[in-house]
Amino acid sequence: MGNSCGSYQRNNQRPKRMSEFIFAINEADLADGGKSLVEVEDRLVLIFRIGEQFFCIDDVCTHDGGTLADGNHEGYEVECPRHGARFDIRTGAALCMPAFKPTQVHECQVTEGKVFVKLS
Amino acid sequence: MTQVLEKIGFHEAGFEALMDSLTQPEWLAEMRRDAWAKFNRLPWPSGRDEEWMRTDIRMFNLDKYALGNGGTEAFPEGTLSEGVELSGRLVTVDSVPRVSELAPEWSKKGVLFGPLSQLVNEYPDVIRPHLMARTYDSGVDRFAALHAAFWSSGSLLYVPRNVVVNQPLHTLLALSDGSADLSHTLVILESGAEATLLAESCSLENSSGGVPGGFHCGGIEMIVGPGAHLRYVNLQDLGHGVWQFGHQKAIVHQDASLQWTVGALGSRLSKVNQHVELAGAGATSQVNGVMFTEGKQHLSYHTLQRHAAPHCRSDFLYKAALQDNSRTVWRGMIKVDPGAQKTDGYQRNDNLLLSETARADSIPGLEIEADDVRCTHGSTSGRVDEELIFYARARGFTRKEAIQMIVTGFFQQVFDRITIESVRDALGLSISRRVREYE
Repeated sequence: MGNSCGSYQRNNQRPKRMSEFIFAINEADLADGGKSLVEVEDRLVLIFRIGEQFFCIDDVCTHDGGTLADGNHEGYEVECPRHGARFDIRTGAALCMPAFKPTQVHECQVTEGKVFVKLS
Repeated sequence: MTQVLEKIGFHEAGFEALMDSLTQPEWLAEMRRDAWAKFNRLPWPSGRDEEWMRTDIRMFNLDKYALGNGGTEAFPEGTLSEGVELSGRLVTVDSVPRVSELAPEWSKKGVLFGPLSQLVNEYPDVIRPHLMARTYDSGVDRFAALHAAFWSSGSLLYVPRNVVVNQPLHTLLALSDGSADLSHTLVILESGAEATLLAESCSLENSSGGVPGGFHCGGIEMIVGPGAHLRYVNLQDLGHGVWQFGHQKAIVHQDASLQWTVGALGSRLSKVNQHVELAGAGATSQVNGVMFTEGKQHLSYHTLQRHAAPHCRSDFLYKAALQDNSRTVWRGMIKVDPGAQKTDGYQRNDNLLLSETARADSIPGLEIEADDVRCTHGSTSGRVDEELIFYARARGFTRKEAIQMIVTGFFQQVFDRITIESVRDALGLSISRRVREYE
C-alpha cells in the first residue's frame, strides 16, 4: 500500500509552461474515447479524448462536490457515479438534475504530442 | 528530554528510527508498535466511505512529509494569551518543546503541565491509565493509527483533586513549512478540579514567501473527573497549505462540566472528529465553534455528543462563514444511550455564505435509544441579506464595512457564549481581517 491517498496521473517533472498553459499529459497516454484524472497545479482535473479533440473539466460534481472520475462517459457527456447528474465536457454545463450549476471547464491545447491545460 | 534530531519519514525505517530516538516506558513502546501494525493493515479512507465522501484527500501524499527537528526559528507569541496572566506556558515547534513553564505555586500543589513525551517517563502512574485508553481509538482510521504510532512531544495537563487553577494555561504549536506535527494532548482533571487551557496552532512564515504547507495529525484526550470543570479553547490557524487530521475526545464524568471552544480558521484541508461523551449523571458540556474559510480551504468537522448517563445536558453551536471557493462540511450527531433518561441535547450549525461559489454541507443527526429525553437540532445556510447591506450603506458605511458588521453580528451569538475575553478578541479580529468585499 502506497502512502498516497489517490490514484491519478502525477507529473514527475516540473510542469512545462506554454504561456499560461501547463503540461498535463502526453497525448499518447490517453486513448481515443478515454479519460484521465490529472493533477495540474494542485488541482485535480479530468481530461477526455474524443478523436483528436481534448477536453478538460474540474473533477467536481456541482451537486454534492464529489468526484466525477469514476463516472461513465459517452460522447460529450460524463455522468456522476453517485446520483446520476450529467455534465457536458465541452462547456461544463449541467445537463440534468440533481446538478444545476456548471462544473468548471478548462481550455486544452495539444503541441508536439503533449496536452497542455489553461486553468480557468 | 526526548528530541527528534533528524527528519523522520513515515515508513518502516522511519518508525524504527523514531523508536530508537525515544526514551519511553516499554508499555508505551508496545502501544506504538501495535498502532504501527494497524497503520500498515488499514486502507486510506476513500470517497466511498460516508464520512469521507465530501472530503477529497486524493492529493494528500504522506511521503512528502517528515517529522521535523524543531529548528531554531523564532516563533510567535500567540494571540489567545495576549493580555492574559498565565499559570503555565508550553511552546512546541515541529513537535519539539521550546518553552515549558509552570508557576511554582501550581507545581507545589501537584499540577503537571509540560511535554507529554517527557512527563510520561516521570509520571507513568498518572498517565498510563488514561493515555489512549477510553478516549482515543487508534484503529478507527489510518490517520488515527499513524498518530498513535508516531506521536511526539505533545502536552499534558494534570490537575489533582480539588485543585482550582484560576489562571489559564497556554500551549502554542508551531509548524514550519513542509514539516509534520503529530503532537498529542492529554488533559486529566481529577474530581473537583478546575482549569482553563488555551491551545493554539499556527504555521511559521515560509521564508520563500509562499503559502506554508505541512501535515498536522493530532490527537486530543480530555478526562474531566466527577465535579470537575474544564474550559478548553482550541484555535487552529495553520497555513493554507497544511493538511490537518485530528481525533479529539472528551469524557465528562458525574456533575462535571466542559466548555470547549473551537476556532477553525486555517489549513488547506481539515478533517476533524470531535467527540464529547457525557459519562456520569448530571454532566454538562457546551461546545462553541467558529469557522471562517476562504480561498480553496476545506474544513470538515464530524461531531458526536454522546449521552451515556441520565440527567446530562449537551449544548452545541457551530457557526461558519465562507468566502471565495471554500467549503465546510459539518456532520453532527446526538447519540442517547438506553437508560440516559432526562437527557437535554441541543445542536445547531449556521452557515453564512459570502460568495456565490462557497459551499457548506450541514448534516445534523439524532440517534435516540431512551424514551424520556429532549433533543433538538437545527441548521441554517444562507447568503448575506442585501437589504441589510443597503440599510448600512444608507447610513454612511461602505459595502465592505457593512459586510464586516453583518459577519461580526452573525458570530455574536457564539462569541457571547465564550467567557474568555482574549479568545473573543482573537477570533473577532482574525475574522474581520479576513472578510473581503463581494458584489
